[in-house]
Amino acid sequence: MKTIKGESFEVELQNDNSTAVFRGALRLSGMEDYAPILELLKSTLAGIPTPIVLDLRELDFLNSSGITMFSRFVIEARDHAGVSLQFLASEAIHWHARSLKNLQRLMPTLVIQLT
Amino acid sequence: MTNQTFGYAGQAPGDRREYLTLAFSPLSAPLRSRWRNNGLSADFLGDYVTTFLPADGTMAAPAGSKKEIKHAVTYIANELLENAMKYHEHSVDIPIGIHLELTGTQITVSATNGISDGQAQCYQTFVATILREDAGELLVRQLEESSRDAVSVKSCLGLLTIISDYGAQLGWRFEVHPDYPGIMTVITSAVLPLKDLSGAAV
Repeated sequence: MKTIKGESFEVELQNDNSTAVFRGALRLSGMEDYAPILELLKSTLAGIPTPIVLDLRELDFLNSSGITMFSRFVIEARDHAGVSLQFLASEAIHWHARSLKNLQRLMPTLVIQLT
Repeated sequence: MTNQTFGYAGQAPGDRREYLTLAFSPLSAPLRSRWRNNGLSADFLGDYVTTFLPADGTMAAPAGSKKEIKHAVTYIANELLENAMKYHEHSVDIPIGIHLELTGTQITVSATNGISDGQAQCYQTFVATILREDAGELLVRQLEESSRDAVSVKSCLGLLTIISDYGAQLGWRFEVHPDYPGIMTVITSAVLPLKDLSGAAV
């Protein structure tokens, strides 16, 4: 398992190399600071295409630079043939329903599962 | 450059209101250190606003909508502060401010910072684009464009998400600074109508 930790957040890429779990609050200051997380996500696209799951159910806060980071990953995934992408989200965390729909406009096959 | 106002002009005075202003001395710490304070300040404003919901104290907002309002204020305050910190003109001693105001019908979050005349012109060009186009369409287009840009783009995506995802109206006031030639103060305001936040009408 690969993990990136910050003062207020944690990102775990599980051993299956296709499930990433986000926790806490992501408010990094720009794309340079988000680069290690984006690279971690891009590593799921290497090799044979598998369903990729981003679990955001414990990600309480995301700033607009974080939205840009996710959009870059979604566009990269969209441009990889055969990749399916799913976001697990929570109705209790208000930004999920408000902001994730923009990612679906970038990749219409993106599945957002709100629970 | 002259004093100019763009976008939503705000509410007429006279409505009962609660407000809070925080100001930061931009010279006191490097950007990276202050970045943490953006989050702390934004969280504080989100907590603070729910204490005064609604401003006239006539009816308590439902718990779910309070949580939603708290999140919206926190997100908007965080984005406006991030922009103010990033684009502030650091050669002059002008405080960076964040202001929260609550009336019976709306919440306003405003950030103030200093910018050079050149930056003000760039910002005004972007403001004109925001006012001319659909924010949701512009946001998706900018996300596409930013994915092709290896380095960070100065696209003010945060402002577009405030309009598109939170239904806020934005307004801008550019003022010539009386003490610093070639420097302006810009106030960026986001107004959230309470009726548009579920169950929060007062």
